Amino acid sequence: MTKVATLEQAVSLVSDGDVVALQNMATQCAPMALVRELIRQERRGVGLVCLVGGIAVDWLAAAGVIDRFIGAAVSMEQFGLCQQYRKAVETGRVRVEELSETALLARLGAGARNLPFLPTRGMLGSDLVDLNENLVLFQDPFDGETLVACRALVPDIAFVHAHRADCRGNVQIEPTVRWPDLGIFPKAAKKVVVTVEEIVDTEVLRRSPDRTVLPGFAVDAVVEVPYGAHPTSLFPAYGYDAGFHLDWVEVARDDERAQDFLRRYVVEPDGQAAYLDAVGGAQRLVELTRT
Amino acid sequence: MSYPEYTVDELMCAALAAQLSDGDEVCNGMASFIPVAAIMLARLTTAPGLVWLAGAAGVDPRPDRVPASTLESPLWRDSVMYLEQYGDFWHYVQSGRHLHTFCVGAAQLDRYGNANNSIIGGDYHRPKVRLPGTAGLADMGALGKNLLYWNTSHTLRSLVEKVDFVSCPGYLGGGDERERLGLAGGPQLVVTNLAVLDFAPDTKHMRLRSVHPGVTVDDVRAATGFELPVADDVGETPKPMPEQVRLLREVIDPDGMCKREAGVRPL
Repeated sequence: MTKVATLEQAVSLVSDGDVVALQNMATQCAPMALVRELIRQERRGVGLVCLVGGIAVDWLAAAGVIDRFIGAAVSMEQFGLCQQYRKAVETGRVRVEELSETALLARLGAGARNLPFLPTRGMLGSDLVDLNENLVLFQDPFDGETLVACRALVPDIAFVHAHRADCRGNVQIEPTVRWPDLGIFPKAAKKVVVTVEEIVDTEVLRRSPDRTVLPGFAVDAVVEVPYGAHPTSLFPAYGYDAGFHLDWVEVARDDERAQDFLRRYVVEPDGQAAYLDAVGGAQRLVELTRT
Repeated sequence: MSYPEYTVDELMCAALAAQLSDGDEVCNGMASFIPVAAIMLARLTTAPGLVWLAGAAGVDPRPDRVPASTLESPLWRDSVMYLEQYGDFWHYVQSGRHLHTFCVGAAQLDRYGNANNSIIGGDYHRPKVRLPGTAGLADMGALGKNLLYWNTSHTLRSLVEKVDFVSCPGYLGGGDERERLGLAGGPQLVVTNLAVLDFAPDTKHMRLRSVHPGVTVDDVRAATGFELPVADDVGETPKPMPEQVRLLREVIDPDGMCKREAGVRPL
């Protein structure tokens, strides 16, 4: 059965209020086409899970899609703090559940295994434990050591971006550093949507099954979106778009200019081809592509 | 045209590199130019066997220089292995057998070495300033690592009496409080743009270890938000050696990423 879908169909799997686990690591590999479609479809009340969120979080906060963030950090690294997200948190529009990396992984790991919780030693002594109802100190029943129980987190849906897939949703990546987004997000979530640079024949995947990271039976929808991570990077295929990040940073402190930016690059372009044209077309993309 | 003998980012790199030893493994986080240059410097000089996990992701890489990002390609160029964070990296960190040292940067650091990268002022859920978040700090602080702090802007705002929020546990309230909670390791050293500081063995209070050449003890005290004890044998931080400076300028960081991080004018 084919899992191939359009961006519109894939994002229609998300309801207002859902928890969406979004692949992202600062300027690396966010499924940005899905992020833009969430904004275009005007989802509201979404809870966002990221390990380290970047420009995607800033846009979703600016567009009013999210009202809570669950994760370890939000930063565009060399491009600085996410100013729209920052403002949303400082004015109480977005609530943060801040977790250490091991705690987020424990919450998702428990969710993936249908366990009530998993423990970590991380965060002991920090102020993060007391203010979070999903974290409880407990004694190790074997040796009595104090540990942190991290309650299972089961996102409603996981969004990830990868290099290729077949129409059945088997997903493959090129050898690359791998964040937990691929290791655990799709296993923990109830539904999984994957955007890929290209949809290929299954025979292509069979030539290198060691590169297949998600089996089709665990994927609900796959969408072909070339440069689907732009302006973040998809190593080793293409790098992050520094100029585009800087253009966003330039307007992000000013609400009106930020909204204009989103209108121009998110709302108005109808589909990925129109978006890629809006950000500079083939010329820009060639510059980002690694050979 | 004459160049300065050394700049403060170079001195900080050399001071951090001196803490990194052969036979250990060390990773770096995001926006960590000075730690990355220090790791590269140590590997080229005193600690050739130090294993570097670039961006906590690429094992034993060979980038040709410090790149524009410490959490992006090409930092992990020529790695022997790409780590999967969930299954690989955090397992090794939590095992207790690996990665004994971690470099920490944070917005605030207090007299007992607790660090804050979460919020400044106000209520946690309506903060005056929302910072990036703890990322891996709350783990590294609790998992028995030796913490090396670096801070390119030693001021009353960054070295404070008490952090607004503990994102990374140091010695908590001082004395044996950390130990009583069952946490091993802890803050060892603080390298700033003005001085090198460490922690008194009994009280765990931060104290002045050495001042950088041209900086006085009073300068450091005036820039520190708490009463700063001075170690009995306080001295001057060693200048980086000419060969270290040459390596940093010509080989490791020709693009001056560390200078940008430290607010030092490009050469």
